[in-house]
Amino acid sequence: MGSEEESAVKEPLDLIRLSLDERIYVKLRSDRELRGKLHAYDQHLNMILGDVEEIVTTVEIDDETYEEIVRTTRRTIPFLFVRGDGVILVSPPLRTA
Amino acid sequence: MVGSYINTHKFLSGFSSSSLYLFIAHLLSLNNPVLQLFFSYFKDLVGKEVTVELKNDLAIRGILHSVDQYLNIKLEHTRVVDQDKYPHMLSVRNCFIRGSVVRYVQLPPDGVDVDLLHDATRREARGG
Amino acid sequence: MSWAGPEDIYLSTSLASYLDKKLLVLLRDGRKLMGILRSFDQFANAVLEGACERVIVGDLYCDIPLGLYVIRGENVVLIGELDLEREELPPHMTRVSAAEIKRAQKAERDATDLKGSMRKRMEFLDMD
Repeated sequence: MGSEEESAVKEPLDLIRLSLDERIYVKLRSDRELRGKLHAYDQHLNMILGDVEEIVTTVEIDDETYEEIVRTTRRTIPFLFVRGDGVILVSPPLRTA
Repeated sequence: MVGSYINTHKFLSGFSSSSLYLFIAHLLSLNNPVLQLFFSYFKDLVGKEVTVELKNDLAIRGILHSVDQYLNIKLEHTRVVDQDKYPHMLSVRNCFIRGSVVRYVQLPPDGVDVDLLHDATRREARGG
Repeated sequence: MSWAGPEDIYLSTSLASYLDKKLLVLLRDGRKLMGILRSFDQFANAVLEGACERVIVGDLYCDIPLGLYVIRGENVVLIGELDLEREELPPHMTRVSAAEIKRAQKAERDATDLKGSMRKRMEFLDMD
């Protein structure tokens, strides 16, 4: 990361470049969230994440009471390619100044 | 084997002259020929077992047969993860998946060279 | 005969190897079409000859004949080659007439609609 040019932030994706090899948070369409180490990305926000935790939030309607039941399902995946068109936001790790 | 993902010289050396023509025709059809990190990455993954998860929640495990610039994927020896839910997929042994409907691809751990990916990503970011 | 350009034919991810074969085409709205692939292009637009729609409701199914279809690539999720050696569907599934499958489809739709409208009523009662 040494050189000044490499660490300069001029456009949104530069922030993602600075998150390479760091754990990031990704919010996806259809109520999915990922946390994982960023290993690769491109201009479409296609990504490869490592050591990923996925959280899926689903809402079901109970057969008898017709009440909404909110469920979260978690799973871990060692290495995952994520297609960029499903990405809503990417949050880099918090940095202490 | 995982090679250098966007090393063009190495990339071209493996092509015959007719496929070289096709390769160049191919580059001309892309907006930016340098930017195809994941296309190159998936090409190196051919022959390995992956699980492709689609936006309609269907998940298919199979051997990666091929991939193209749109990240369309062809799988062989396929098996649907939740077979009971998708009985119509029972006799499908190989398939073509349109790139645009893919949500995830679960990758084999031995198909991910983290350092190579970091280098290729930085190079790609400079090219863009 | 296929009218796809040369770069498409040589791309190993093209649908060329599926030409003249019996295929299953999954569409984005969940429909399942079957037929013989006669032509395609780089968008995965496809011409199916002798197409039929396979409607599945629970353990019942029916193949509704459609004829010659041109499918817009955008709507294609997956194209799978059917292994003619294998059973297309699990043995516990029963083929029924078109009229019967339409009734089953309607019953299924009505059940989901009821669940939705009951939920709306509950929401209304929750207000106070």
